[in-house]
Formats: sequence, C-alpha cells, structure tokens
Amino acid sequence: MQRVEQYAIEMLNITKRFPGIIANDHITLQLKKGEIHALLGENGAGKSTLMSVLFGLYQPEEGEIRKDGQQVQINNPNDANDLGIGMVHQHFKLVECFSVLDNIILGVETTKGGFLKKDEARKKVAALSEKYGLLVDPDALVEDITVGMQQRTEILKMLYRNNQILIFDEPTAVLTPQETKELISIMKNLAAEGKSILFITHKLAEIMQAADRCSVLRKGKYIETVDIKDSTPGKLSAMMVGRDVNFTVDKKRCRPQAVVLDVKGMTVASKRRKDNAVNNVSFQVRRGEIVCIAGIDGNGQTELVYGLSGLEPLKEGTITMNGADITHMPIRKRLISGMSHIPEDRHKHGLVLDYSLEDNIVLQRYFEPQFTNKMGFLRRKEIRKYANRLIEQYDVRSGQGAVTKTRSMSGGNQQKAVIAREIDKNPKLLIAVQPTRGLDVGAIEYIHKQLVAERDAGKGILLVSLELDEVMDVSDRILVMYEGEIVGEFEPDKVTAEELGLYMSGSKRKEKGVDE
Amino acid sequence: MNKGSKKVNFLRNSGFQTVTASLICIVLGLLVGYVVLLIINPKGAAEAIAAILKNYLYYPSPTAVMKYLGTTLVKASALLMCSLSVLFAYKAGLFNIGAAGQYVVGAGAALYFGLKLHMPWYVCIVAAAAAAAVTGGISGALKAYFNVNEVISCIMLNWISLYCVNMLLTRAKEQSAPYTRPLSSVNKGALIPTFGLDKIFANNGFVTIGVPLAIMTAFAVWVVLEKTKFGFELKATGMNKHAAQYCGMRYRRNIILTMMTAGSLAGLGAGIFYLSGIEQWMVQQTSVPAMGFNGIAAAFLGGLNPIGTVFSSYFIQHITSGGSYVDKTIYCAQISDLISAFIIYCCGLVLFFKIRLNRWLDDKERHAAKTQKGGGA
Amino acid sequence: MLLLIQYTLIFASVLAIVAIGGCFSEHGGVINIGLEGIMVIGALGGALMMKFLPGTMAATAVMISVILASLLAGIVFSMFLGVAAINFNADQTLVGTAINLLGPAAAVVIVRAINTAQNPDNVSSTVAYGHAKKVFIVNIGKFEFNWFMPLAFLVLVCAYIVLYKTKFGLRLCACGEHPQAADSVGINVYRMRYAGVIISGALGGLGGLIYITAGVSEWKFENGVAGFGFLALAVMIFGQWKPINIGLTALLFGMFRALSNVYTGFDTLAALKLPSTVYNMLPYIISLIVLVFVSKKSRAPKAEGIPYDKGQR
Repeated sequence: MQRVEQYAIEMLNITKRFPGIIANDHITLQLKKGEIHALLGENGAGKSTLMSVLFGLYQPEEGEIRKDGQQVQINNPNDANDLGIGMVHQHFKLVECFSVLDNIILGVETTKGGFLKKDEARKKVAALSEKYGLLVDPDALVEDITVGMQQRTEILKMLYRNNQILIFDEPTAVLTPQETKELISIMKNLAAEGKSILFITHKLAEIMQAADRCSVLRKGKYIETVDIKDSTPGKLSAMMVGRDVNFTVDKKRCRPQAVVLDVKGMTVASKRRKDNAVNNVSFQVRRGEIVCIAGIDGNGQTELVYGLSGLEPLKEGTITMNGADITHMPIRKRLISGMSHIPEDRHKHGLVLDYSLEDNIVLQRYFEPQFTNKMGFLRRKEIRKYANRLIEQYDVRSGQGAVTKTRSMSGGNQQKAVIAREIDKNPKLLIAVQPTRGLDVGAIEYIHKQLVAERDAGKGILLVSLELDEVMDVSDRILVMYEGEIVGEFEPDKVTAEELGLYMSGSKRKEKGVDE
Repeated sequence: MNKGSKKVNFLRNSGFQTVTASLICIVLGLLVGYVVLLIINPKGAAEAIAAILKNYLYYPSPTAVMKYLGTTLVKASALLMCSLSVLFAYKAGLFNIGAAGQYVVGAGAALYFGLKLHMPWYVCIVAAAAAAAVTGGISGALKAYFNVNEVISCIMLNWISLYCVNMLLTRAKEQSAPYTRPLSSVNKGALIPTFGLDKIFANNGFVTIGVPLAIMTAFAVWVVLEKTKFGFELKATGMNKHAAQYCGMRYRRNIILTMMTAGSLAGLGAGIFYLSGIEQWMVQQTSVPAMGFNGIAAAFLGGLNPIGTVFSSYFIQHITSGGSYVDKTIYCAQISDLISAFIIYCCGLVLFFKIRLNRWLDDKERHAAKTQKGGGA
Repeated sequence: MLLLIQYTLIFASVLAIVAIGGCFSEHGGVINIGLEGIMVIGALGGALMMKFLPGTMAATAVMISVILASLLAGIVFSMFLGVAAINFNADQTLVGTAINLLGPAAAVVIVRAINTAQNPDNVSSTVAYGHAKKVFIVNIGKFEFNWFMPLAFLVLVCAYIVLYKTKFGLRLCACGEHPQAADSVGINVYRMRYAGVIISGALGGLGGLIYITAGVSEWKFENGVAGFGFLALAVMIFGQWKPINIGLTALLFGMFRALSNVYTGFDTLAALKLPSTVYNMLPYIISLIVLVFVSKKSRAPKAEGIPYDKGQR
C-alpha cells in the first residue's frame, strides 16, 4: 500500500543566523494538505526570515525542507515557484504602471515566435476569477485599482501559476472587517480545493475564524503548534508574547476642554488621480481628548495629515489652531506655534537616517537661540546636553548614545526618538500617524501610555490608525474616513468593530452629528 | 577593550577609510594609465608615467621647479574652487555637473569686466562669482519649481554658457587671433595682485593671492557645512529632503541657494584663474573646458571633504600638467585625462567597498563578542 | 530646403537611435548619462574599421562590418557603466560622468597612438575614412540619402515592438519599475539590467558612428560628439521614454540642430543677421525649455538610478 503523505510542505529544524542574532533557531513548520495553517508571532519573531528561507532567498545553516515527504533544495524564488509555492507579500509586489493581466503573467509569459500571447492568459484569468469570486478588471492599471483589488491580483498571480501552497503575509492589514471576511471565505474555498494555506498574522481573532492549526514563534524560537479548536485567543497571545499582556489601555474618562484644532471644509487634491484625496472634511479636536481617524489605508488619511502639517497645500477649506488661522502658514511656523507631528513614515519624513541621534532630536529646534548663536553657528554642547536629557528620559537605546547614526538603531528606538522629540516640544496639538506601526507589543504599550499621558496633560491628540484594536482602545472619539470623506463619528464604547468596518468599507455612512 | 578591537576601530575610522580609498583609486588610475602606455609602446612606458608623476620636477634647476610649481598651483587653485562647487552641491544632494558651465560664465564675466569695462580686479572677481551664481541659480530654480533634473539642466546650460561666452568675448578678442586680448596690456588693474607671492615662485607673476584665497575658501566651506545652521539644513536636505520639508526647512529656497553658492564658487575659480593673466580665452572653443569636470574628480577623490579636496585638486592638476612632459613622439598628453577619468570611475566604486569593509568589520566584531561571551560563561 | 530636410533627417536619426538606447537602459533601471562617451567610442570603432578595411571590399560587407564595429565598441565600453552600476551599486550619475570623460580621452589616446605609430610626425587626433564612408550614402538628385535614415526608423519600430509586444520588454520594464516584484517572480534583475545597458551601449555606439559619417569625411576625436549624447537624453525625457514620442521629438530637435548648418540658405533667417552661435545654442535652449514643461509629470521608470541589492528587500 502506498503511504499517503500527510504534509504538503515541511520545514524541519531550520536555523538561520545573521551576524549577531539567530533569526530562526531550530524552527519546525509542517503544513498539511488542504489546511489553513496560521503562523503567529510578533514583529521580529522570525516569520519573515522563515519565509525567505522557504523562498530560497536565504540558505539555512541547519535543517531541511521537504515537499510531499521528499527533501528539496530551494536556492531561489524560481525553485519555490517550481515546487508550487506562491506568496502574497505584505507589500504587494506589483508593477504599478502595468495592467493587472501583465502583472499576472509576468515571469510566466506565454509567447509565440517571441511575441507575447495574451489572449489565452486573459481567458485563463477570467475563468479563475469567476471560479473563486476574485473580481478584477484584467486591463485596468494596477495604480488605478483599490488595495483590495490589488490583493486579488496577487492571489490570481498564484492561482495562474497553479501554486498548491499559498502563503498570505499579513493579508488583512489593508482590509476592512468585511473584506477580511470575504478573504477568509476565499481562503477556505481554496483549502477545500486541496490547496494548502499558510496564513501569517498577529491578529488572534482572524486566526480563530480561519485557521485549522497555528504555529507560534517568539524571538526566533519555535514555541508550539496547536489545534485551533483546542485553543483560545488568550492562550495564543501568551504564547506569542511570553507573558500575559494587557491589551486594553488603562485610562480615565476624558475631559475635553477648549477646541485646539478646527478644520472646516478641507479639500486636498490627489497626486495620483484626478479627483480629490480629501474632500470637504470638517472636524474639531479639543484639548484633553484623543480623536482617532479610522479607515482603510489609502482613503485620504495621509493627505489629510499632509494638509494639516503643511506638506501639501489645501485646495479649499480652513484650518484653525488655537484660534489662529494656519491654513497658509509655512510648516515651520505651524511647528513653532504648537503643532507636533509623529509622521506615518519615520524613515521618509521623521528622521534623517544618516544624521546622528542628537541631530535628529534637534531636527525641528536647531534654529532656536538655545542651539544656534547669533552668527548662525550651532551650539554643539547645548545640543548634546539636550539630546542626552531626552535619551535618558524616554529611554532611547542606541549603540553609542547621542552620536549614534540613527540608521543603525532599531525601529522601536527610532520611533521612541521621534516621539521624544515631538512630545518634548510641549505641543498643544499632537498629530500621531500610525505611531505603533511595525513595533512589538512592549513598544506599543509604551507609546499608547505616552499618548494617554499627553492627553491627560491637556493636549489635543489626533491619532490616525489603521489598526481597529488601537482605534477602539486608545481613542475618545472616532472619525471614520472613507474615500476622502468623514462618513461617521462614534464613541468607542458605543460602537462595535464590525459596525466601524461597515463605515470603513463605505457600505454605510451617516452625516456627521453637527457639533455645537 | 582588547587589542583586537582597537585595531578594528582603527580600520573603522571613516577618515582612515576615505584616505585609503582615495589612495587605492589613485593607484588603480595610474596602473590603468601605465597599462595603456605599455600597450601603445612598452619601451618608454615607465619613463612616461614617471614624467607624469614628476611634472615640474622634470626640470633640473630649482628656479624652474619653483616657477612651474607656481603654475601648477595656479591651475590647481581654480580646480579646487570647481571641486568645492561640486562638493557643496553634492552635500545638499545635488549633482553639480554644471560647475563646468558656471566656470565658463565666470571666465566670461571676469574677462568682459576686465577687458571691456576696464574694471579693477576685485570688481571683476565679484562679477565672475555673481554671474556664475546666476547660472547655478537657474538650475536650482528649475529643479525647485519645475522638478527638472539638475544634471540634465546643468549639461544644457554648460553648452549654452559656452556659446554665450564665446559670443560675448568675441568683442574683446585680438584682431587677428581667436584669443582675448591679454589683460596685462589692456587693463593691468584687472590682474589680481601678487603681494610678493611671485617672488617665492621665481618671479612667476601668475601666482597671485588667488592661490591662498582658494585654500581659505576650502576651509570656509568646511566651516559652513560642519558648524553652521545653514550647513545643518543643507546636509539634512541632501540626505533626506522629505524630512527636511517635514521639519520646516525651506526646501526650495535651500536648493536654489545651494546651487547659487556652488555656482559662485566655480565662478570665483574662473575669476582667480583668468585674472591672473595665465591664459587667454579662445573664443572659438567647441568644448567646455575640462576644469569643471575635473572638479568632480577632485571632489570625490577628496572623499567629499573640503580639506581633502585641497589635496586631491592639487594631485589631479599635478598629473594633468605632468601629461605635457611625456615623450610626445610616442605618447600624447591626454593620457593624464584618461588617468583622471579613470580615477573618477574608481571613486564610484569606493562606496561599495566601504560598505563591504564595514560589513566585514561588523561580522568580525560580533564574532569576537560571541567568543568572548562564550569564554566567560 | 532640401538640405534642411537632409540634415534634419540625419541628425534626427542620431538622436532617435541614441535616445532609444538610453530608453532601454532606463527601462531596465540604469540611468545612462554616459551616452556621450559611449557615442565617441562607438564612432571610434566605426571610424577605425572604415580606415583599415581594404577599399576592394563589397559595399554591403563594408557597411555591415563598420556597423558591427561601432556596436561592439559601444557595448564593450558600456560595460564600464554596467559593472559599476549593477554589481557595485555605484552612483550612476558619477559613473556616467566618468564615462563621458573617459570616452573622449581614450579615443584621443588611441587615435594618436595609431597615427604616431604609422608616422612619428603625425600627432593629430584625426581619422580619415573618406572612401569607406561612401557606401552609406546614395545621391538622389541633390538629396544625399544616407542608409542610416531608414535604419533609425527600423530601430524605432523594433524598439516599440520589443518594449511592448515581447516577453523581454515586459520583463525589462518590470526591472526598471519595481525590481523587487520582478525578482519575486523569478526574473533575474541583474541580467535584465545588463541587457538594457548592453542595448544602450550598442545603440549609443551606432549613434556615434552616424554622427561622424553625417558630416565630413574625417573626424577629429578631440571634438567628441558635441553634446549629442546629452541632447539624446533630453529627447528621451521629452519623449517620455516611449519610442514613438522619441521618434517625433528627435525630428523636432534634429530640425533645430540642422538649422545651424543651413540657416544661411533661408532668406528670412539670414536677414535676421543672428550670429551662427545662436543657432548652435538653439537645441540646448529648446531642450531646457521643453524640460520645464515635461518634468513635473515625468513618467520616468520608478526605480531608475537606484541600485538593486538582493540583500535589501
């Protein structure tokens, strides 16, 4: 009798070292045929290294990979592709100025006499998208379609290649709860067809809904593989973090005071499309409250913040901060008059990575008389003193202290440096955009505490977040943004995540309660 | 700290790395030059490369040596100004390939003010710097307001500048030759004073206060970049323009100011060169003088450090001048151009080697740390 | 008028071919500022071939071998850019600039070495190729037809087909737009980028050859190619990296360039009494103005100029 191999792919005792750290320490991951297997772990737990090993981007020092029980050697992504392994990356690997179809066939083009033959491909794609309910226009350019459609394109890419092992890397980060539900049902369909699915995530609720089994990694080490039906979110999270975590943020009820930010009819033009990225948005932020802008990525939050901070001009509308009209104020003046801004992308906006830590700490204040003398020369001693104070106070860790090149610091400490700089300015209004992105649980807790502390100190805080958990936990008031407009306003304890999701996806909207 | 890590730290010193890298580039450049000479004619290759390296030391009499050292210094000081121009812009993230054109404009303005308007030397120098600053400013403004790549606009401006200056200086040329009239006969007041420097260099009247002025400028550029608010903003803009914008630095103004400063540096270089009377402008030139392009070589060879460029400019000029001492019956002077071009090419690879070296050092350090820890446990 | 058309066509051929070369390199993700230097070396390859070919060879054979020589010279020289930009992650602008200096310097050194070796008194940097040049030219009445004109058209058509209709083109563009995406579907980014640079080297070399055969029957290599490589870059940008637009732009720029050769033949222009220098400047001024208008909405390949490092994904 022929032995039926239970596992589609097995990674056994994989060890991968990088200079100074062991990214994967004897990790074992066994994916059964037709199952949805979750891979759970914090940022830096070693998930992406493990996947890179699976795709042949890294060669492990120890361990082996088996496909259907046979040991295989994977030297590059092509080998992985030949073995039928496909992946939807967290940051989509799509060529934006290509059509959906071109992106799907890229790398596996069918040709005749050297010329591309797209007709067959088009038929095949149409059949696949119908079969799995993955609706997307094959001739649309990727840059013109929504993030959800881009994800479908990525899934079609795998199906077109007839991959049997499908890996989803944090697929729900960019989706509404409803879209997430759809994705999960698509995943279940695919699994029912016999495809094996590896689902990388740190969202426990989704694992409970979708997965059959779950493997947990922590700090490069393999912890355990459990059956979902025998497990609870609490158990999983304890395994992931290594201790019990308190997910909710302790905070007192807010006591809103005077209005610190008043936005009326704000409209910001879109850079990529013809229409407006932010369309006629009005809202207020008061001192002593955390107002949260929730929404799916790409619904105008970035442009809204650019408009507020002065990085983009407004097409229409006014912004008033502390009673002063700042609509046309240059960025520097806004910063001086009490605005702080923790930017969405700390590498793009927040830091000059090749500057030292101290230079980054004074990046917005170097021109003040305490740091620059009347002749225009920098007062290096004062800068050092100030930087050292902040480094200590906010516990920013780095190799060589104030003179460390910021590039060499860890993401969490880079973010702490930004936060220290922005909070220490003693702002009246703090705009924080995804302040916890890419950080581990400890850092997230720390940042949430800081935000609440600032609120209690009487500052107005505008938080832009894509994480619904964060929205529900931290905010005092929630504004949902959809396609450049504010489609609803809620109090966190009077709304569920599901309901917010309906607004975030545009399936529901209500006219904002007219304030005052 | 044990001995091993001290050695590693020494290797890690960025100044040490830069100097070593530059020396390697020079050796590679000379090696390629030597191989080319060997291919052309193996017999005289060694002598030829020696002649290039010797430059003025070729002369047996110390007076002649001093005299031609002076000439090399005059040319090197112009080159230094051009390389400072390139460096200054590069620190702000701009590639000023237009130093060549700004140099041309500076020369045009200096000579026109001297020959046609009969102005004294200091006015001519200011005119040179100002005109070149405007030329640089155009590239800067086009970049700031229209997002025109500064490399392309600079290249176009190089040609436009050349043709314009040719046209302008045709009005101040000799009757029968395509050269501008010599300043010494038309307007002595436009010649930069020597303050006795010529005496040191065997009465080489071309050695003016322009030479020390150039070196002082290098120092000034260093101070501005490292010690001032303006330098802080400029470098931040160069390293990450988004961050610079985010924290309220005036990005557009800085780009224009940078290019204007860079332009004025190149123009100043042309001023101190042509107002020494060492050369006349040829009004039918069909190619932009190499000075500005060699400035790119000097800037990178000097490790993008203003003080480093003082040495690298001298070196590049030294071998360029040395090119004229090779045996002309076998070789040609352009072999020096070939060598300096190859040196720039090598400079492009330097960064890669530095990164590799640092990675290698990282590995070593970690390895050392691990064994130490292991030993202690 | 006929003369204007003739010059326009020949200059446009040079610009179009070189700009297409640049376009291939940039679609692969490598900025090729060194086209000017590559043109000089390509011209040198062709010129030397013309000089040394026996006069008795058949016209087609001469044509083919001369073209091959310039293609090959261009390719070999472009490898300097390729190696530095692709394997060594070098600053592409810096390396391109080095190539622009290296090209003319190397050409002069080589030509002088050859000249001096033949005759110790000959220290010029001129190559004469009068007899061989004739094979490229057919006189139709007063019109001097040059075989390179249809060749340029052919290159344009091929470039269009290759870029938009073939697997190679699709993959090349992917490498210039999003190399990580290309890599993730198993495309060898390094190889594709080399392919782009090689094509640009070949076409740059060919453009250099056309440039020197367009005019007189000998070439002084000290003069280089008078900024044509840079004009071609402007043509490429104005043509928004698309072959058809590049062809049209090349015609426009070619006409302005041709004006400086033939403006005396037009009464209205001659009556303006502008110095010839003004006409020499014209193409550069025009391209500067043109850049002002097209640069804001530039559709340059997104990843161009950024070294691709497999380790950093």
